[in-house]
Amino acid sequence: MKHNGVTRFSLQNFLGPIVVLIAVTYFIGGSSTSLQLVTQLALCLFVMVLSLQIFVGNSGVLSFGHGAFALVGSYTSAILTAPVNIKDNALSMNQLWEPLVNPQVNIYLSLLIASAISGLIAAITGSLLMRLNGLAAGIATFALLGVAYNVFFNNKKIGPGSQALPGVPLITNNWHLLLLAILALVIVYFFNISKIGRSLRATREDAMAAPSIGINIFRIRWIAFTISGALAGLAGGMYSHVAGTFQVQDYYLEFTFITLSMLIVGGSASLWGALVGTFFITAVGHILLMMEQDLPVFGIKVSIPLGSRAVIIALTFVAMLLWRSDGITNGKEFSLPKIGRK
Amino acid sequence: MIQSVLDAISLGGLYSLAALGLGLVFGVMRLVNFAHAELITIAAYTLVLTTQYPLLVSISFALIVTAFIALLMEFTIYRRLRGVNPAIMLIASFGLSTVLQRLYELMFGALPKSAVVAPFLRGDFKFFGVSITISSVITIVLTITILLLMGYIVEKTSLGLQLRAASADFKTARLLGVRSNRLIGAAFALSGVLATFVALILVIQNPQVSPYYGLNITILSLVGIVIGGIASLRGAAMGGFIVGVVLSALNTLLGNGRVYAYSWLFILVLIILLVRPGGLLSKGSELERV
Repeated sequence: MKHNGVTRFSLQNFLGPIVVLIAVTYFIGGSSTSLQLVTQLALCLFVMVLSLQIFVGNSGVLSFGHGAFALVGSYTSAILTAPVNIKDNALSMNQLWEPLVNPQVNIYLSLLIASAISGLIAAITGSLLMRLNGLAAGIATFALLGVAYNVFFNNKKIGPGSQALPGVPLITNNWHLLLLAILALVIVYFFNISKIGRSLRATREDAMAAPSIGINIFRIRWIAFTISGALAGLAGGMYSHVAGTFQVQDYYLEFTFITLSMLIVGGSASLWGALVGTFFITAVGHILLMMEQDLPVFGIKVSIPLGSRAVIIALTFVAMLLWRSDGITNGKEFSLPKIGRK
Repeated sequence: MIQSVLDAISLGGLYSLAALGLGLVFGVMRLVNFAHAELITIAAYTLVLTTQYPLLVSISFALIVTAFIALLMEFTIYRRLRGVNPAIMLIASFGLSTVLQRLYELMFGALPKSAVVAPFLRGDFKFFGVSITISSVITIVLTITILLLMGYIVEKTSLGLQLRAASADFKTARLLGVRSNRLIGAAFALSGVLATFVALILVIQNPQVSPYYGLNITILSLVGIVIGGIASLRGAAMGGFIVGVVLSALNTLLGNGRVYAYSWLFILVLIILLVRPGGLLSKGSELERV
């Protein structure tokens, strides 16, 4: 049976993921410098996967276009905060457009602007794209990613083009990133239990029957797409402040694949699935990385040849799909094991 | 001018071959096989790494290897996913594509492998005083031959009848006695054969084979089959052709702005999809749950 997600507020569904996020950030993020970076990146990716969950998970319409919103968010936040001399030096040969050189804003304000801009672009493009269904929608969102990548990769007036923009100020405090992730989680949770969220899942289950109970498919998909675009922008912005650079290539096919696979491996129908998928893929990736570098994992030293990590991650993903195509969580929300009840 | 037109037609033909390979598999199992790219890549590797043998032997090797991998994909992965949500299948093929790319990287290295395949097909000749590259003519001849051959298989043979029946309505086709495993296997093998010819044409033009060699053409033909109308093989081939011709025309017309050719192409695709969501050859829209 397919789980259609939660319909009303439940404290354990809501607090469970938050407690897990806090625990992971505290115990793993605080344990060593390398794990701190891994945790920080995972928190950014979690926001991205949440953004996919709100749209792809609820509506069942596949989007390959969210990389474009992350790209725009990352770019906006990076260009607004990178020091003037770096923008001047690193990009002067590329004739960066003058008004972009001087602006300097606070990191958190820049994140707000980044998600606003991404959300706005999602609203505009969504007003066209959301008229499409099925495969056409998938290809159309991919076209969106293609346009964004192509423009940012080649246009050196608005950004670094194919190079990296270094010197983006870092968010070093894990807790700030955690708060941002929790903020995204709260937004997604309350969206999912709202009337719009439930209607959206109804259209996923039956796109023919949903309009008959008064659901305007276009409108609710558009709302979800816009919110989801804004969250993707936030995720991209956070990513640039954790990586310390902005690079167009970071948000193309590989990014799209890895974030979508996190969503699907975890279970695209639930918020808890987004969390489980992100941490599962991140953990597998990190453990394999340690094996590649001949480092002991939990005291056991297993070595794998250099380069095999990516193969194993992708294989794991395919195997997961064969094993349970509804994801690890099977689309259920977090709940404590029930004792003595069946 | 003549050269530009020939280039456009040959690129269009090439893309329609790739689109046809994708369309065959989609027709029988509603699967957008993203890993078609890796079939093209492995065929190109085989061609480039076997240049010590005569061309025909080398092509035969490539055909065998590619068809084998295509069937292997079917047996190990796609067979188990039959009937699940098409979105899950698409994502699975995306995953399989990544697996194979990384495997190629492990096996052949990240740097391009290169060797001159069929040197006699390079260079150009004069035709009424106009210089024309041999490869563009060969591409067109080869494409037309294969398209005619495919047309014959699809329109005239029993296999083709079954393929058309299956892409129209797979369940009914099964009820009428089409053997699904055999048919799907045949579709995969044929798509492997088509991928080999696409690779052959590609390596004559650009013999630098890297693990991502087939990616670009596959993405663009995927776009092509959707705008052409994914429901029919003819639509797929036509859509691929249109994408190739438009891309080639954009590259000629845009001059210095040609780096943005892909953007214009994608914008055009968006417009076509908005006007005709089912593709150019569709007869009205139907709702499909993806």
